Amino acid sequence: MKVAYFPGCVAQESGKELDMATRAVAKVLDLELVEFPNFSCCGSGFIDETNEALNVAINARNLAIAEKAGIQTIMTVCSTCQGMLTHAKKVLAKDKIIKKRTDAALGKIGMKYSGTATPKHMLQLVVEDLGGAAKLKPLVKRPLKGLKVGAFYGCHLIRPHEIMEFDDPEYPHSFEDVIRALGAEPVMYRGRVMCCGFPIQFVKPLSGEKLAGRQILDAKRNGADAMATSCPLCHLSLDTYQKESGKAVGASLDMPVFHFPQLLGLAFGMDAKELGLPRHLVDTKSALEKLGAVKVPA
Amino acid sequence: MVEVKLEVFRGADHEGKPHYEKFTLDLPETTPILTALLKVRTDIDPSLTMRYSCRQAICGSCAMKVNGKSRLVCSTLVGPEIKTYGKIRIDPPGNMPILRDLVTDFSPFWERYLKVDPYLLEDPEHPNPKGQVTKMSPEQVDQFKETPRCIACGACYSGCPSVGEDPEYLGPMALAKAYRFVVDPRDHAYHRRLLKLQDKGLWLCLRCSLCIEACPKEVRPADRITDLKRLANQEIGPKESGSRHSAMFVTNIEDGGLLNEFKLARQSLGFFGIFGQIGKGFAMMRHGKSFMAHPIIHDLDSLRAIYVELNKKEDLKHRERPAGKGVKGEAPT
Repeated sequence: MKVAYFPGCVAQESGKELDMATRAVAKVLDLELVEFPNFSCCGSGFIDETNEALNVAINARNLAIAEKAGIQTIMTVCSTCQGMLTHAKKVLAKDKIIKKRTDAALGKIGMKYSGTATPKHMLQLVVEDLGGAAKLKPLVKRPLKGLKVGAFYGCHLIRPHEIMEFDDPEYPHSFEDVIRALGAEPVMYRGRVMCCGFPIQFVKPLSGEKLAGRQILDAKRNGADAMATSCPLCHLSLDTYQKESGKAVGASLDMPVFHFPQLLGLAFGMDAKELGLPRHLVDTKSALEKLGAVKVPA
Repeated sequence: MVEVKLEVFRGADHEGKPHYEKFTLDLPETTPILTALLKVRTDIDPSLTMRYSCRQAICGSCAMKVNGKSRLVCSTLVGPEIKTYGKIRIDPPGNMPILRDLVTDFSPFWERYLKVDPYLLEDPEHPNPKGQVTKMSPEQVDQFKETPRCIACGACYSGCPSVGEDPEYLGPMALAKAYRFVVDPRDHAYHRRLLKLQDKGLWLCLRCSLCIEACPKEVRPADRITDLKRLANQEIGPKESGSRHSAMFVTNIEDGGLLNEFKLARQSLGFFGIFGQIGKGFAMMRHGKSFMAHPIIHDLDSLRAIYVELNKKEDLKHRERPAGKGVKGEAPT
């Protein structure tokens, strides 16, 4: 399947390991990633808080870039990018004033938005377009047997439901279906649909850290050996700031957190380095050891 | 008919520890959860304590947690819950002290509500002449068509993760109400209200949209909060880390097309704020997460051209805000 690859900012910067893992598993999943170095940031919801029309227009530009190349699916690997691109598409479909202004702005740079390209998160593609669990199972070379994984969705992938139209807004199952198909055991806990605290990490870091800490504790109490997230911003909160988050909730945390494609890559038999696991701040060794007899190359 | 397995929170002034009490009932799938709870109270245990009144999502008394989700129990049916979860766990509404079983003390909810002055304010320098009627255009009414639907049930507040974590945050209901008065042309405190709101009480919203899912009246509090943030940044300008973060994000993307993580953190938190985050920075660099260098997109000029078109000063104005009298707080004629 040919898709326009929309890595988003974080996967090109501090979360480079997400980009590495995405490229590695795309080959196995038979995904042809078409790259557009002119894709811009999605605005992450922050531009929307200052200038609504600008927020929609920069995403219309992104969508139009893929449309011009004749590609119908834009694959995101970030819940927030997915949320913002979908939001822009929905606003353009119903808000005539913003549509007109966006068309005029795009016209000035010789571009046109027609609405033919659809943004889809990699998780969404796997379960909706690539055959889901049935297609994944034969690809698994190293079943993640014995590993209990707590999925973490990232708000913007599932909410608001009438915008995102994917899975259930507060009791989704897609991620867990994939975890099961890879041979691991999904852990159900409320925190998986809660906020990681990232949006306020720069507003009031302690409150953001408390939120992250709560969700990690929730996963831990429900028996998770590791967490896996579909959003690199959540990954920053859950992995990169885990030490501070633990302190904020008065607990010592040691929870490995995988990016979604890293979990796929592990099950496909890829090694830790290829998937960028050494770049994590919380060592993933404890989770890899849980895989029992399976020896993971360092 | 469906077998309804209820697990109901019992606690506070009862004897013994707080616990979940299990009840099993056979009910039609379309039974509201409130009806199931009332059946428990009538047929099994008359001591079950809860708030309810109208049974038709009008009075807003029966907000509770249904399998972790913040909902009105009168408008949530047993069938879909049993189908998805296999059981129905009922908790009292969140973010408030529990008094007994499913009844909580709503004081923290109302305290936040009162903080936003939830009534029309007059401009003391230009008081309204007695007997004057303020006319509103349909467009002006449309600006706040969602918020008067609010029934103050507290479902949004109960499920808000930020309210639970930070007492400084005003919460979804109070802020949706604040928006309603900010854009009401009969109110004469536009600037004053936004000045008071432009701080962390507003900017601690996470945009997680749980309030949108919880609200039984489609007020869409998270959207109203975003509207309010826009108005505040336009009228007052960035005042603290939250509003600065949003405003700086706009220019940050204009600079290179992709986020410059380090620069944004520095701009949002300021010199002293970033100093407190230095530990995180060094830990990231040790693991090869060099956020200091960041790529710049190709064809940056085309992105900047969009900025030229849409990021002029007048573009920052709220799109639905019609130019009209009374809107900015001056006395209507």
